[in-house]
Amino acid sequence: MNPQVDSLIRAAQRGDQDAFEQLVRVYDQSVLRLAMNLLRSPEDARDVYQEAFLRVYRNLHTFRFDCSFHTWLYRIVTNICLDQLRKRKVRKEEAAVVETSEGPVDRMDLFEEENAAADPERTTWNRQLGQRIESALGDLTPRERMVFELRHYQGLRLRAIGDVLGTTEEAAKNCLFRATQKMRGVLGDFI
Amino acid sequence: MTCESASALIPLYHYGELTPEQEDTLEAHVHECGSCSQAMDRQRALARALDRREVTAPPRLLDDCRGDLFAAIQGGATAGSKAFSKGPWTLFLEALGATFAGLGRMRQPLAAAALLAVGFFGARLTATKTAITAGGVAQPAYTTVRSISTVGSGKVEISVDDTTRRIVSGGLDDPAIQQLVLAGSREDNAAVRVESVGLLKDRAASGEVRDALVNALAADPNPAVRMKALEGLRPLAGDAQIRQVLAQALIRDDNPVIRMQAVDLLVAQRDDSMVGVLQNLVQHEDNNYVRLKVAKALKDMNASVGTF
Repeated sequence: MNPQVDSLIRAAQRGDQDAFEQLVRVYDQSVLRLAMNLLRSPEDARDVYQEAFLRVYRNLHTFRFDCSFHTWLYRIVTNICLDQLRKRKVRKEEAAVVETSEGPVDRMDLFEEENAAADPERTTWNRQLGQRIESALGDLTPRERMVFELRHYQGLRLRAIGDVLGTTEEAAKNCLFRATQKMRGVLGDFI
Repeated sequence: MTCESASALIPLYHYGELTPEQEDTLEAHVHECGSCSQAMDRQRALARALDRREVTAPPRLLDDCRGDLFAAIQGGATAGSKAFSKGPWTLFLEALGATFAGLGRMRQPLAAAALLAVGFFGARLTATKTAITAGGVAQPAYTTVRSISTVGSGKVEISVDDTTRRIVSGGLDDPAIQQLVLAGSREDNAAVRVESVGLLKDRAASGEVRDALVNALAADPNPAVRMKALEGLRPLAGDAQIRQVLAQALIRDDNPVIRMQAVDLLVAQRDDSMVGVLQNLVQHEDNNYVRLKVAKALKDMNASVGTF
């Protein structure tokens, strides 16, 4: 437990709005990063951010310090993200891809290229690799995707991931193994 | 250990999730087994490829999200209410409705969203920091008619947005003034951003100013703004996070003058972790001056210009 965070939580539970804002600022960058990486859409990431922290705001009084605040927050965030991922699976939409005159392109590539005066050859290769990775990630179940995201990009230990997702470390391990096997299969000669 | 069981452990090994005994056993097997050694290499290659696909949130998105959230809370979200039933966007739009009626759905291109974030900050200052008006002089209001409808008996009902302009004066040590200057650094008007960032650049010791300078350097479309932000970050060039931002500017900024300045700041102190960035850059840099500068910096660091 972090004493500074704890005191912010207690103050926010007493209705101190500045403390709540400070608490949000401690965690919100990693929440946004998680949502962006999972959903690859600034609009969806923005919705997740908003919904997650509003849920925290409404339910903070129920937080009893029986787990870390990080775990509690991430349970909320991962639930919202999993819902989004499941909806996408059902709709079979690829929200991360937009149609352009050059064919379907990962919308994050478009975003990145606004900033970069990119080398065309490198851009083409990156785009192909990116599409292959998107396809590989798209083949994962929402739960495998989440475990992989939390371990690879967020650096959480599998035990912590199990706590966040309400499962065991062993189950998280199996998810991670399946996810990497699937991705290695899809990426094939690219790696 | 069989190849099948080794294969199951390789991803966990990569992520440091094995016990020391399991690691030893796997390492011994991989050392002896060519195909598992290749599988280990593929695992590393996969991780590198995925690292390259990591998405960084656009710098202004975080500000926008915070703006949405705090506006929603101020606009009616209640803490601890189990009866809470409104969606976040509803709350956000309601909150905006009170101050910026008619701006409509927020899911617009980022530039528009950033403008709204500025609007939010402005509204927030007006609503909560009334001391700021002490030195202000009210100017005539701008009026926008949003809708007109007839209500019978020859009368009409007109929905009107009033925007007022005030002149606020004060020193940069005044937190309220500093907040306005920070809001100015995100304005649509490039001239306002240049002035704002120019004023902030000597105050990078403050976390909020530092964030604004980082955002400006990373994402402002105007090179004059980015140049001023870079100047402001100069005293912090030893900070690891700032060095990452400078390295990004070096790789991504399309303005060679900014890239030159970024090289200067990055090589002002010895940092071997920058060698790879510089070596990569020297291979792809299309500006002769920048390329020569980077090559010289590598030479000064006793590093080779090429990569192997």
